[in-house]
Amino acid sequence: MSITHQDAAAARTPERAAAPAGAACHALRVRLTAGAAADGPDAVAARLTALTAGTGPSAGFPARLWTERVPCGADAPAARRWRDRELGRPLPVHRDAPVRAVLLQYADGATDLVVVADRAALDTTALHAFTARLLGAEQDTALTARTAATSPPAEPGPGGPVEQPDWGLGRPHGPDTPVTRVLPLPAGHPETDAESWATALGVVLARYEGVTRPALALLAPGTGAPGRPVVPAPVAADGGSTLGTVDKELRAALAAGPDGTATTAAVGLVLADRDLSAGLPGADHAEYRPFQQPPFPVTVTVTRDATGGRALRCDHSARTLSDAVADQLLRHVSQVHRTLAEAPDTLVADARPWDEEEAARLAAHRRSAPLPPFTPRRIDTAVAEIAAARPDAVAVRCEDTRLTYGELDRRADRLAHALRALGVGDRDRVGVCLERSAEMIVVLLAVLKAGATYVPMDPAYPEDRLAYTTSDAGLTTVLTDRADFPGGTDTRVLTPAALEDLAPERCDGPPPSAAGADDPAYVIYTSGSTGRPKGCVVPHVNVLSLMAATTGDFGLGADDTWTLFHSSAFDFSVWEIWGCLLTGGRLVVVPYWVSRSPEDFHRLLREERVTVLSQTPSAFAHLVEVERDGADPAPVRLVVFGGEGLDPRMLLPWFDRHPETACRVVNMYGITETTVHVTAQTVTRAEALTASKSVGHALPGWWVRVADPDGRPLPAGVAGEIYVGGAGVAAHYLNKPELTEQRFLTDVRTGERLYRSGDKGRLLPDGRLEHLGRLDSQVKLRGFRIELDEIRSVLLDDPQVTAAAVVLNRTDPDDAATAQLDAYVVMDGDDTASVRQRATRFLPEYMVPSTVTALERMPLTTNGKLDTRRLPRPAAAPAPAAPAAPAATPAAAQAESAAAQADTFEQVLLEVWREVLGVPVGPDDNFFDLGGNSLLAMRVGAALRRRGGHTVAMRDLYLRPTIRQLAADRAG
Amino acid sequence: MRLQGKTVVVTGAARGVGRACALAFSREGADLALLDVCGDVDGVPYPLGTVSQLDHTARLCREQGAAVLTATADVRDGAALRAAVDATLDRFGAVDVLVNNAGIVAPSGRTTHEITEDEWQVMLDINLSGAWRMISLVGPHMVARRSGSIVNVASTAGLVGYRHFAGYTASKHGLIGLTRATALDYAPLKVRVNALCPGSIRDDSAVEGRMLTEIARSLELPVGEHEQTFVQSQPMNALIEPEDVAGAALWLASDESRQVTGSVLTVDGGFTIR
Repeated sequence: MSITHQDAAAARTPERAAAPAGAACHALRVRLTAGAAADGPDAVAARLTALTAGTGPSAGFPARLWTERVPCGADAPAARRWRDRELGRPLPVHRDAPVRAVLLQYADGATDLVVVADRAALDTTALHAFTARLLGAEQDTALTARTAATSPPAEPGPGGPVEQPDWGLGRPHGPDTPVTRVLPLPAGHPETDAESWATALGVVLARYEGVTRPALALLAPGTGAPGRPVVPAPVAADGGSTLGTVDKELRAALAAGPDGTATTAAVGLVLADRDLSAGLPGADHAEYRPFQQPPFPVTVTVTRDATGGRALRCDHSARTLSDAVADQLLRHVSQVHRTLAEAPDTLVADARPWDEEEAARLAAHRRSAPLPPFTPRRIDTAVAEIAAARPDAVAVRCEDTRLTYGELDRRADRLAHALRALGVGDRDRVGVCLERSAEMIVVLLAVLKAGATYVPMDPAYPEDRLAYTTSDAGLTTVLTDRADFPGGTDTRVLTPAALEDLAPERCDGPPPSAAGADDPAYVIYTSGSTGRPKGCVVPHVNVLSLMAATTGDFGLGADDTWTLFHSSAFDFSVWEIWGCLLTGGRLVVVPYWVSRSPEDFHRLLREERVTVLSQTPSAFAHLVEVERDGADPAPVRLVVFGGEGLDPRMLLPWFDRHPETACRVVNMYGITETTVHVTAQTVTRAEALTASKSVGHALPGWWVRVADPDGRPLPAGVAGEIYVGGAGVAAHYLNKPELTEQRFLTDVRTGERLYRSGDKGRLLPDGRLEHLGRLDSQVKLRGFRIELDEIRSVLLDDPQVTAAAVVLNRTDPDDAATAQLDAYVVMDGDDTASVRQRATRFLPEYMVPSTVTALERMPLTTNGKLDTRRLPRPAAAPAPAAPAAPAATPAAAQAESAAAQADTFEQVLLEVWREVLGVPVGPDDNFFDLGGNSLLAMRVGAALRRRGGHTVAMRDLYLRPTIRQLAADRAG
Repeated sequence: MRLQGKTVVVTGAARGVGRACALAFSREGADLALLDVCGDVDGVPYPLGTVSQLDHTARLCREQGAAVLTATADVRDGAALRAAVDATLDRFGAVDVLVNNAGIVAPSGRTTHEITEDEWQVMLDINLSGAWRMISLVGPHMVARRSGSIVNVASTAGLVGYRHFAGYTASKHGLIGLTRATALDYAPLKVRVNALCPGSIRDDSAVEGRMLTEIARSLELPVGEHEQTFVQSQPMNALIEPEDVAGAALWLASDESRQVTGSVLTVDGGFTIR
């Protein structure tokens, strides 16, 4: 016999009780005067029996008076717990008892009467009247018997899931602990009716949520029919209205009664600011609890204690609000309420939610430590000082090349003279389009020594982008090895070797120059989400400030070895090159083919004993994988993340091998327009485990502010646009005065320059910044606002998934209806269905990706950021055979089994290239001519590894790009 | 406090393990409904709990801060139990924990075929059916709230046989069977049911326990000699204290054991290891 019919058993059991009763009940406690108490419990019990069991309108639910002998005096600390427990004790589910009366008889003779009632049966007025009758009042009560017809759904939001506020800074994965925060109101706080508080809360929410009609729920026990305690209150709090107008509108809405729509508001106000001690015979004082369980996810209540003191109280789960944000909410509501009462003509836009004290604290938070003192000078001057002090120290390593500081300085001096000879003058812009090499470093330094500004370009950029940069920057001289550089007639294009030929045999220092620390050092072009790339002009002094801000904290110095991993066209390289050379370190140039091969790069880190590693998180994920596959840990002591947002959970396997005491990991938020970095957050295992998005405090000398679209500062927790000020703010955009005016602003109060980033962020209560992506990373799908980063975060929570990307695609570009979310993951195993299945548990249906495609690796741009354009077609999309089929498709599996039969290296390679490139392949075809690139080369490597056969080193592929050459090399 | 805001019903609460449980629960913030037969039962050859003892338990619990409701109810009397449970719900609004502790150890001391029909009936009716009656009254309420913990105080006699204790052994084996089947019924409904199997408990004067004495009397042995036998049979070389059982019951009652159901937890100094 098998008795495991659990489902059947569940189906036969009684219905689950409706709502937890606590939200539907309220309670009143009355301290009896000595005279009333002397009557004894019997008198009260008799009235209770008469009230509830007699005939007439008050009959219907016979109730018993409970008495409890409290073993301590009424003033003893333990007595509070007895009272709280009695006030909070719910009425039983499934027993038709709408009221409970309890006498608490304290050891010192004091007596409390506690009446708990179902709000649907007794509203506030009726509860008060009922209690009065128990105490011997003669007037009739409004008590009515509860029947099915008047029994209401007392819980708010039957219409759907209640939204959680996104400004709460709660811990969504932490324990669901109920929290109460209380803000006592000062004695002088204006006395108003309860509705004014609703107006104040509405105005604050409008500010927090960046909307004019915030969803606000109200529980007004004294107003409306007892059956409908919850009404949504539409408040039109646009900036142009006065507080008084908003208040009038809200009152009109309340008077009109509930509009029948179910509220899904997360934040609600309980109007309970009534003094219920009046009219109770024999009452010394009274205490009213408008609810036993808070009726809303965030419940704000105006309370009045036994002595008449008022307080604002916030009840919520620790998952929803942090303590600091709850306290802040109460402060802001109180402040706006005061303004409403004292100056109702104040415009909503002008109603500051904080007082002077908080404003000062906010200002102090966003202003970081002062920049350590340093001598403003040109970058090349500072490097020359190091060269003079330590001429024999190694400055640059690149494969077999080694340059000491002395050699670097002398060679750059000579090339600077050559540039001068070509007519390059102070503040002229010189294009540099070179692969990473020791020579490139010399050239960059030479341009600076010539008093000029370097404009880096990546040799891998397409021709039209190079041509655009050349013409936009007005480059008269470009140094490049690229023979087909689109120079035009006005531009002199020459190789570094040709420049070398023009250089004097010897020279005594750099050519004379009038350019100074405030003159531009470089112009880096950044692409925005719209429009053409724009050149950002950054002065020398900004770079020196950056090093002054970081050198001490990071302990940077002559013992450090840095990598130059990134393209000089990406400003992360500014940090790598000048960060190293301005602190006397040794710079190891990472050749392109090594930067694309995580295994080779990891080997380089070990062989060169690199101590300071700067990476984008996407690129770093590959390194972590290499170590996970068994490589010995690299001896790095500092890892600096930049370039894109970091999900610190990816660092857990790194920390397993590199304890925080041995290697510091710093996540830095930065923008080209503010000189590489703005903030720094040291990431520990604790941050990684909580998936913290904090990018830390601003660097000394930098500062950040988060503001709403009108530029008004926002309180902690509330997301808005990040503004950056201080030592890093760039000069301007080249030739773009209008854009410069829009983005580079001047603070009207302080006269300081600041940059408006277009990035979304929020400040934490301790002043750290959370970076939440681009303001425009929000997409709309079938009317839903979707944060792609939110979906990505859920995918990353899956223990199988190590990297994830989500994009909004249209299978038919002209048809919005074909839009769908496609996810790409790097994962252990290939069970993408389970990844999607798991996501359905955490995301609303419209946010669940339609497809999940497993990739060997995420494709990266030349800057090391995720390259969404090179993501393959989604795995499950109804599409023709994809040219770059993802690894886990049936087609790929078929190809694998066919290839298993191929018995020679050449045949395997032919198969794999065909599979990866999606075109017919011959033995003499050049991999790169067939459309191959570094990502596809990685995929070739992965496919070869999966076949368990010989792999081809990345470098070999670059040196011998045809199958015949590779085979010959292996045979030889 | 581990049971803050919870309501616990304990049967057989006048003395012994029932009193020890009530005290442990009140220390952890629970409010209590304490039930006891408060009087002797025909066929049970020793005095059972009294009103005075139950009130004493209640007083001790109040001193520790608990609100307490007491009720005189025989676990064989369905109507009395129902009145007690209804009053508990009206007073406290909910029942979070039920401790089925009421039980008798004698009439015992005979070979199986010598047990009379009445002796067999009273043993099963109190020790096994009594627990079932309480579950059938409190269970629906817990199921409706999708929350609750039921602790059935069985015995090592629910796991092994004791010579000349066939009725007691059968009732405690039955109680473990009841525990397991009910745990399955209630698991999808988030109500947990577990059994505790204490070994030989010292007759502690503070809680006025007398089980060991009654077992010795059933076997017609001097109490001291009988105690010595049990101490030797429990590998930890000590008798079980009532608060040892209460500690285990507290854990099963609290949310700390929220994934524990259908378990049979021994508190027997290792008696059942071999």
